[in-house]
Formats: sequence, C-alpha cells, structure tokens
Amino acid sequence: MKNRLKKLTSRNEPYIFLVLLAVCILIEIRSGQFFSPNNLVDIASAMIVPGLMAIGAFMVIVSGGIDVSFPALASLSFYATTKLLLDHNYQGGVVLPFLIAIGFGALLGAFNGLFISYFKLPTLIVTLGSSSVFKGLMQGALNSRQLAVIPTGMREWGKKALFVAKNPVSGLTSRMPVAFLVFLFALVFAFFLLRFTMFGRGIYAIGGSEVSAERAGFRVVLTKFLLYIMVGMIASVAGLIRVCMMQQAHPTNMLGMEMNIIAGVVLGGTAITGGRGTLLGCMLGTLLIVIVENSLILIGIPTSWKSVFTGALIIIGTGVSAYQVMHQGKTRSSKGKKQEVAQ
Amino acid sequence: MKKVLAMVLLVLVMVPVLFAAGKAEAKSNYEIVVVPKDASNPWFVRMKVGVDEFAKGTHHTVYQRGTPDIDATLQAQLVQDLIAQGVDALCVVPVDLESIEPVLAQARKAGIVVITHEGADLENVDYDIEAFSNVGYGAFIMDNLAEAMGGEGVYTTMVASLTNGSHNEWADAGVAHQKANYPKMTLLAAEKRVESFDNGDVAYNVAKELFKKYPNLKGIMGTSSYDAPGVARAIEELGLIDKAFTSGTGMPLDNAALLESGIVKSLTLWDPALAGQAMIALAIKVLDGEKISGVVDLGVDGYTALQFKEGSKTVLEGEGWIVINKDNVYDFGF
Repeated sequence: MKNRLKKLTSRNEPYIFLVLLAVCILIEIRSGQFFSPNNLVDIASAMIVPGLMAIGAFMVIVSGGIDVSFPALASLSFYATTKLLLDHNYQGGVVLPFLIAIGFGALLGAFNGLFISYFKLPTLIVTLGSSSVFKGLMQGALNSRQLAVIPTGMREWGKKALFVAKNPVSGLTSRMPVAFLVFLFALVFAFFLLRFTMFGRGIYAIGGSEVSAERAGFRVVLTKFLLYIMVGMIASVAGLIRVCMMQQAHPTNMLGMEMNIIAGVVLGGTAITGGRGTLLGCMLGTLLIVIVENSLILIGIPTSWKSVFTGALIIIGTGVSAYQVMHQGKTRSSKGKKQEVAQ
Repeated sequence: MKKVLAMVLLVLVMVPVLFAAGKAEAKSNYEIVVVPKDASNPWFVRMKVGVDEFAKGTHHTVYQRGTPDIDATLQAQLVQDLIAQGVDALCVVPVDLESIEPVLAQARKAGIVVITHEGADLENVDYDIEAFSNVGYGAFIMDNLAEAMGGEGVYTTMVASLTNGSHNEWADAGVAHQKANYPKMTLLAAEKRVESFDNGDVAYNVAKELFKKYPNLKGIMGTSSYDAPGVARAIEELGLIDKAFTSGTGMPLDNAALLESGIVKSLTLWDPALAGQAMIALAIKVLDGEKISGVVDLGVDGYTALQFKEGSKTVLEGEGWIVINKDNVYDFGF
C-alpha cells in the first residue's frame, strides 16, 4: 500500500488531476455554470480537435522529436480535400472526404518521415521547414481562400448530434457532435498501439535511446517513418472534423495552435526529451488547456489579460511536470534501478 | 485589414438614369477608365457591373480594365499604357500604394485626372473616395443591431483583437452611437469588448461563454467578417434564435445560409459597384471644372453627401454602406 502510494505521488497525473479539479471548482464558484450539463458538453466538443492533435503530438514527443508542422499539414489536407470535392460537386456522405483527407495526410506525413527517419535530420528542423512548405503549397498551388460553403454531406455530419444537453435553469442547449466518437476511437486505438504492439513499444524505446533501440532489434528507421505517416493521418482527420464542425474551411485558422497542443502534452508529464509519458497524462494536460482557454470569460478574466493568464498556467504547469520528470530520473538512477518505461 | 476592406456591399443601380439626363448637355466626350486590383476577383466583377451600368447611361466613354491577376507591377504597366493612350481620367483601386504612386504622378503630369478608391494615403491624386468614415460605419452597425434587438437590452462588442485599429474605432463609434440614441440598451459592464482573432471558431466559443455567464445578454456587435457568422453558430446551437442577436460585416454568399435561416437578420457591407460609379461621377465633375468643396453630391446612392476627411484635402468619405439580408443576398455575385 505504502509502495503504491509512493508510486502514485512520484507520477505526474495525480497532480494534473488535482490542478484540473481546482480549476473546475474555481470556474464553478465564479460562474455557477461549470458543472451544468450544457457546459460539460461544450468542453467535450471543444476537446475533440485539440485532443486528436495531442495524440499525434504525444507519440512524436515520446519518440524523441518535436513536430510543429501538424496544423499546417492538417490545413493543407483538409483544404485540398474540401476544394477537390467542391470542384467535383460532391453530394455524397462523409466517408469519402475522410478517406481522401487521410490519404493526403499519409502522403504529407511520409514527406516528414522521409527526412526524419531516412536522412536522420532533427524533427524540429524538418517540421519547421515542412510547415512552411505546406503553407506555401496551400497559398501558391491551391490559391487558398476561405471556403464558406462546404459539401452537403460534411455540413450535415458536422451538425449531427449524439445527444443534446440542456441546462435546466437557463434553457441553453449544446450539441454533442458525432465527431466525439472519432476522437474516442482514436484514443483507444492509440492506447492499444502504444501499450501492446511492438511498434508502440518501439516508439518508447527509440525515445529513450535510439542506439539502444537499434541494438535491441527495433527497426528504428521503419518505425519512425510509419509514425510520421500515422501522425499525418490523425492530424488530417482532426482538420477535417474541424471543417465539418465549423461549417466552413478556413485555410489559416488552425495555424499557430501547435504551441498550445505541445504545451498540453508536456503539461501532462510527457518528457520533452522523449521515452517517457502516458496517454492519460497527455489527455489531462490537453483537457486543462482546453478548459482554461474556454472558461476565461466564465471566470471573469478581462480580455486584455487573457493571454497572460494562459501563458502563466503553461509556464507553471509545464515547470511542475518538468521538475517532476527530472526528479524522477534522478531517484531512479541513484538507486540504480532498471530504467523502466513508464506507461 | 485588407480582408475587411475587401468585403462587400450591395446595390441598387437606378442612378445611371439620372445621369443620362444630367450629362446630356456636357460639352465634350471624355474617356474615363476604371482600373481595379484585378479582373477576376468577384469584388471587382461586381464593380464592373456598376461601371457598365454607368456607361450605358452616359455619352462619355466609360469602361473598366483590369489585369488578370492581382499584381502591383502589372497594374502599374496597365496604368502607364492608359496614360500613353491619352485617356481623360483614371479611376484606380491600387494594389500597392508605393508602387502606384510614381505612375499616378506621371498621369497627373500628363494632365489626366486621377481618382482613387481605398488609397487614402496616396499623394499624387486629385481625390480619393472612401466608402465611409470609421465613425459612420460603426454607428451603422449599431443601428443594425439595435433594430434586431428592438432597441433594448444588454449587448457587448467583439473585435478581431484589442490592437486592431479600425475594428476598435467601429466598436467605439457604435457604443457612442448607442449611448446617444438607444437609451434602453446597455453595454455589458463586465465584458465591454471581447476578441475573436479573425477566427470564426474563437468567435463561436467566446459567444457561447458570454451567453452562459451573462443570461441577460441579448446582442453582440461584431466587426470583423468572422464575428457575426461565429456568434450566429453559437446562437443557433444554444437555442437562442430570436432571443439573442448579432450584427457585423459579412460577405453575402458566404453567409447566405445564415441569413436565409433567420439566425442573422442582416449584415453590413459596402458595394463595389457603387464605389466604381462614384469614382467616375467625381472624375466627370473634376473634368467639367466644377469646384469640389464642402459637401459633395455625386448622385450615386450612399455618395450623395461626401465630406472631406478631417485634415485632408483629397480624401472624401461617403455613407456607402448597405444592409444585406435574405432578400438581396444573391444580388451581388460574391
């Protein structure tokens, strides 16, 4: 029991969970609205896109890299998909758009993966470059502008609700989008992949030490290549979901969101140097950022102080996580324990 | 800012008829050319509609000529070609102020009358016409919101960011206009101004929060073209249709569905066709040697009481805003 408690306090998730709870209670006290059914549904629906993005960003960080290109990648693939379908006057359902977007995502992810795995270039540098390339392709080749009208199938799917939550007091209603299921599916998929497959264990091993992973028999180059393809696919799905939910395709709206996503992942206790981190922590961290971003008015923070507040939260939160991870590393090595891969 | 400027408005083109009568006894036949930023952008296609209408109702030779792409260099070359042709007046919507300036200087040296639109900072022009003053437009958006709200209730304002120049001028003017004219409306004291970052998704989330936190909030005055559509999504989802309202700038076709469903009653804009006609009308006045001073009437809707911008001798500001609603949303072609 004591051991268990010790193990729990040495991990990051309980702290984040407590912070999360404190923030929720603060919002509830200030507004009386946080735990209302429609607000909870609003938060869940605001979580879909950042949540999907965070899954991708998390896997890359665990593998020891930092990917900053995923918003640009997602923008290019959803924009190309929507434009292609509009040009062909597509009237069908939502399956084909997703398949096309996933296809583009895989292609663009492979572009990243090629340079990162085969040429062994640093992820940050490659993705800084590729995000410029993706943005350029969108503006140059596709002559991007806002597409205010999207194919009917996508529009209807974006408005489709699993259920509608109603606030009994104010009568306000909120829709839980069907897209939430996609997010849940991706989450479960990533969980099993990382925990139970050689590919998933390989990602952790590579993040811990690429050389050791190679010696241990992991196919490092192939694993990384496939990883970036998969991240591209997830990001594109997130992008297309956002288009459906917003009912319009705006080429530049997503750019710049990478910083908050990465902050959320690190906030959740993922080691920025790779090799360690849990999907649960990653989701808690992202949820914290999403809640704070969407509750500043509820708390009553003046608009002009908004970014200061979010910034401070990121610094404090990631600082605690980083300290925790550092501390954890020290006690482990001092005790000469076998380096375990936290999961 | 360009984006906002590039938004549009609507039109009723009855003016040429008046002009046909008025200009009949003018002495000479002028050749007047309108040079837009490009020829394919729907905004300027709409401007050409206005120019062509004008051409039909006058004995002057009036036409619009644009470059295939938006390109400052191409536009400068086109203007130089027109100078060489010896036209009487040039009405230019500049792509880039700096690169067009020397070319416009050449034109004026050659005795050509130069009128511009959306080029308030240009020096080598006879006159520049702006569709409206920031103060006037802000008040107009407020009128629109007040009409939807029935002239009473709590409202707040939304801008792209607190540092955006014209959005904040519009919002300030809107609030001042409300205080002077709509005593039953009040500005939400706790959140006087919120930001949307020119992002429809942010506008949507911010609006949802505002309506949750302040149950008596009845209206949001938007400024950027992303504000009103984003707020409208929130109104629809929260079940507040006909209980909460929004107004703001918006392009017609982009918002057709919102207007038709009645979630948004009306949006505001200015019409490039009328701006084109106003430039030509002013050019004719200048060529005829009329003195341009005080309040100028060009006989074009929204441009019947142009006033000089404070401290400027060349910039004229009109009242060229229009309301877009479900009845006229398809009239503009953009």
